[in-house]
Amino acid sequence: MTALRGALATEWLKSRRSRVPWGVAVGFSIAPLIMGLFMVILKDPESARALGLIGAKAQLTAGTADWPTYWSLLGQAVTVGGSILFAFLTAWVFGREFADRTIRGLLASATPRRTIVIAKALVIATWGVAISGWVLLLSLAIGWLIGLPGWSGSVAIQALATIGLAALLTIVLQGMTAFFAGVGHGYIAPLAWAVATVAASQVLAVLGWGAWFPWAVPAILAGAGGAEVEPVGPGGIAMVLLAAVTGIVATIAWWEWADQTG
Amino acid sequence: MSDQAIATEALTKRYRGDVLAVDGVNLRVARGEIYAFLGLNGAGKSTTIRMLLGMIRPTAGHAELFGTRVRPGANDLWRRVGHLVESAAAYPELTVVENLDVARRLAGIEDRRRVDLMIDRLALNAYAGRRAGTLSLGNLQRLALARALLHGPELLVLDEPANGLDPAGVIEIRDLLRDLARHEGVTVFMSSHILGEVDLLATRIGIVHRGRLVEELDSAALEQRRDRRLEVETRDIEAAETALLAAGLTPQRRGDWRLELRDEVALEAPERVAEILVSAGEPPTHLAIARESLEEHFMRLTSGQGAVA
Repeated sequence: MTALRGALATEWLKSRRSRVPWGVAVGFSIAPLIMGLFMVILKDPESARALGLIGAKAQLTAGTADWPTYWSLLGQAVTVGGSILFAFLTAWVFGREFADRTIRGLLASATPRRTIVIAKALVIATWGVAISGWVLLLSLAIGWLIGLPGWSGSVAIQALATIGLAALLTIVLQGMTAFFAGVGHGYIAPLAWAVATVAASQVLAVLGWGAWFPWAVPAILAGAGGAEVEPVGPGGIAMVLLAAVTGIVATIAWWEWADQTG
Repeated sequence: MSDQAIATEALTKRYRGDVLAVDGVNLRVARGEIYAFLGLNGAGKSTTIRMLLGMIRPTAGHAELFGTRVRPGANDLWRRVGHLVESAAAYPELTVVENLDVARRLAGIEDRRRVDLMIDRLALNAYAGRRAGTLSLGNLQRLALARALLHGPELLVLDEPANGLDPAGVIEIRDLLRDLARHEGVTVFMSSHILGEVDLLATRIGIVHRGRLVEELDSAALEQRRDRRLEVETRDIEAAETALLAAGLTPQRRGDWRLELRDEVALEAPERVAEILVSAGEPPTHLAIARESLEEHFMRLTSGQGAVA
């Protein structure tokens, strides 16, 4: 426990001092701002045209400017954006040890390697939850500021819970990203993996397998697929958890047993 | 308790693609020794060091530190070992103090004063609050050494400890390592390209070539094995050569101006050579016994195939 506490303190210090988690938070904050702007445009397209926010011939098909539409768009933005931004955070937390060649100081140390991996995962999860929470709070504030109609407390709680769950699932799915940061000795492989999973999710969702593909589940859960896509059931959630456990176990196994030449 | 700090048994590493990086290396490093591990680039030094630290798994054989078999999860073992593998590295966004504090926490040391002590010992006081990313190569090396020494290890495994240091820094680190070995009983296992430094510091030397340990000897044995020669320069080299040959010696030409003699009598009584040359009317303008440097010895050994010592 002492070793984990020490590893957590060091990982937290490293992440706090880096610009990357803060950059991810700023990048994520853009999502509710864009959604808010979209709502403003939908609410009053003529004024938006007059102000030059949209082209004269733009046809808006996203829906109506109300809270349910806003929640739906936000869910998609958080899950799709999260897949890339949380992968970016994970690629940095794990990959930087190879890029900065600091990995050597972690391998033959009194703190077990698995403890370091767990500490890194917990720090990523902490940042992920904090950033998601911040984005949801910011979304509420923006929606309230632009005066969206159709507010319902129960719908809002359900939407926030769904988006929160989807964000949480996106975070736990970063295990394999961490694994590829080790195998690829840096940032490129984990980011390539993240892009590949987003692309595969799109294809599998179209083919009707999205609800079973772990990396597509959070977005579908948040309503990204619309009514045509098979909804996510317990089996889909189980697949996400299985992928999460596989990712973290694979990462620990790689750190413990692979030849470390980086 | 094992009296060997390091012991390897037929330590071998074969990488994919059939690259034999380390080939059956048997090392014995006693406690308190300063052991220099020398070799050309790609000779297998870093792979051996990584196997000693559990970073790379041997294909065959094994390594023991203090009688305990090396394996990745041997975390109690790493409490007794400090290391610097290949180049110095630090977290660029953290200050020198923070980098050492990170190492302190990972080493499980509660006492924060160890950080200050190491900053003092490695003369990093002026840079304590500086971010590691802004340090010079020499100061980064000092930081890496401070990190290696932070937990008071019994064994130091150092890859190029003098890398990037200025001449004063090289002397400082040499004195520090010598002091640690002499007064604190710390064993030092180091690789270095600065053979002059090794010559002054190491109590034992191992030379690895193409993955094999081709020579291992202590400083006294090295002294005996070093090539010695009498260098002679005269105004007429041919006349001098003729005179020495007539006296039963075997001079060898080195360029247009110099002769070298390795005959026992010439090395033991160089004044006799002077007498021969004076008698022949070719008094020497230069007469000196030269001792092969470690660098020359190393190059002589690694330029051929080398035989296992």
